[in-house]
Amino acid sequence: MTIRRERIQARAARSGLIALICFDLIALSVSSGDLFVRQAAGEIRVTAPHAHFLTAQALERLHDGAVAQFDFQFSLAAGSKNNVVARAVERFVVSYDVWQEKFSVVRLRDFRKSGPKASAIAAESWCVDNIALAASLLPSDQQLWAKLEIRSVDPKDQTSAWADSGISVTTLIELFSRPTRPQQDRWSLETAPFRLADLKPADLKPADLKP
Amino acid sequence: MKFVLLPLLAVATLAAQSLESGDDPNVNSRYTIESISFVDAHPYKLSPSALEEMRALIGARLNTEALNRLVGRIRGELQAHDVKFRLARGGDPDSVKVLLEVDKGKGDMDLSIPQFAYNSKLGWTGIGEGSVNIGANALTLGLRSDGDTLIERFTGIKARYDRTAVRSKRVRLSFEFDAYHEQYNQATLLALDTTTSSSLGAGAYRSRLNFEPSATFVVLNPLTLTVGLSFEQLQPELTAARSESANAVINTLRYHSHWRESDATKMELDAGYSLRAATRLLSSDLGYTRHQGNARYDYLHDHQSIEVTVVFGAIYGRAPLFERFVLGDSTMLRGWNKFDLDPLGGNRLAYGSVTYGYHIMRVFYDTGAVWDQGKTPERKQSAGIGVSGGLGVLQRGAFLLALAFPLREGRVDPVLIAGMNF
Repeated sequence: MTIRRERIQARAARSGLIALICFDLIALSVSSGDLFVRQAAGEIRVTAPHAHFLTAQALERLHDGAVAQFDFQFSLAAGSKNNVVARAVERFVVSYDVWQEKFSVVRLRDFRKSGPKASAIAAESWCVDNIALAASLLPSDQQLWAKLEIRSVDPKDQTSAWADSGISVTTLIELFSRPTRPQQDRWSLETAPFRLADLKPADLKPADLKP
Repeated sequence: MKFVLLPLLAVATLAAQSLESGDDPNVNSRYTIESISFVDAHPYKLSPSALEEMRALIGARLNTEALNRLVGRIRGELQAHDVKFRLARGGDPDSVKVLLEVDKGKGDMDLSIPQFAYNSKLGWTGIGEGSVNIGANALTLGLRSDGDTLIERFTGIKARYDRTAVRSKRVRLSFEFDAYHEQYNQATLLALDTTTSSSLGAGAYRSRLNFEPSATFVVLNPLTLTVGLSFEQLQPELTAARSESANAVINTLRYHSHWRESDATKMELDAGYSLRAATRLLSSDLGYTRHQGNARYDYLHDHQSIEVTVVFGAIYGRAPLFERFVLGDSTMLRGWNKFDLDPLGGNRLAYGSVTYGYHIMRVFYDTGAVWDQGKTPERKQSAGIGVSGGLGVLQRGAFLLALAFPLREGRVDPVLIAGMNF
């Protein structure tokens, strides 16, 4: 009876572990329906209304007054999903005003700052809105796939990026080629295939952070 | 393929080009740091230079980079698993408080040398400590051989338990046990044989044991009050003789604060008063009260500093040797030999010192007297020159290397003083 109970317990534990892994994978990759592509002013941008990365430890760190950094990679593949033809990478620094209880974002490449008062959702949207690719880089006659990857930067790696020479695009691309560390959160969103011609130039202004 | 490898590599160099030097992306960088403190109120031992770095940040705009540097340094000095900072709203809407959280990890152990000194007249003094922190509890075990602080050299162990966080974190409970073996200078033994002093409570003792429970209260930050009891057992040199006890009520009032007038000007005041009262109510064989007051004021401007120290003390009743006041060691009236001044110490003390510093250079002047009640005090003076600071592995504790000279007529007999954590 004891051996049987141990087997049942072992099977339950294994099932639990598999369920946990599956849940983890599901939690980190959002379905294709969650990433939308648009074209505006000769640039391709994405919208990801359900991508929430200001959560868990990062959110806790922000509420403590520290900064949280996130690396974004927006890539477009043509012909097949693996044939990446254009890629943009950015690092965003998010902080939380302990007095005003609002979020603030800085795009590290050019120190473009968000508006001073923002909710977590608005801060997330501002990051997604501020990464773009030139439409002229893309073939108009092939099927395209857009992919947005977000990685949290390990707090131990995120010091002094703005104090010294900054972080280069090359470094960011290299960072995305590495596997994530266990302490790093990551999110990946993809679109269904589309053609450039299908994108109607949207009458969208450059994204500004809304409160 | 013409589209392949077009991923904006051309703009690689523009990263951070538009960054202004010193720009901090943390939105809280607009606020002034009101204070920096540890969340758990544990009395962490930090190097003078780390404390200086901490003070330099107070009163200035929050700088994430500088704060991260400080946090990294504290992590290294405390050998902590992690140290994080947390911001809380300050007293006014333009300021924030920085709270440091130390995660000592599971294996929270620390080995340190709180003091190590050499005096060419008095020899070596060293204290080594190992500590273990489990939550709010801290256990410290130390080995000590000290020929500097008291009239006798005492060697032995010190064990201490601290409960660092009790309810509001404004109270700390401690229990200390000391077991020391005593050694006497020939001059002291000779003086003991010939003395007729009625103020000396016990002769030479071979060893002493101390049991000391105490509680420290934060009365009004930064004012603290320590109250406790000290049960001291003195084992006489002759094993057949009866041991004597010096059981006392202990009280210490301590004030420590610092101010910053500008980026270049800082001030610090450390003052304390302690009272030890041995009484028959605690079954003490010896009855006495010992008062000691001290104050140290530091003024720093750029690379220059002035430090003024005053110490006063008085003992009423019959106090044992370890309670008596001493001058002429490595910290007070430097350059004199304590055995030349009074081989039995005194029951009255008055002392003052002024130190001028420029970068790591130090010049000091000490003056004071130690005497017995009813006798005329003889004021002695000394002066010295040396270097002090924190370097490399010594960052954790400032070192001092100095030559001190007693100011008296006749031959000049300098004393070399070297050590850490003065």
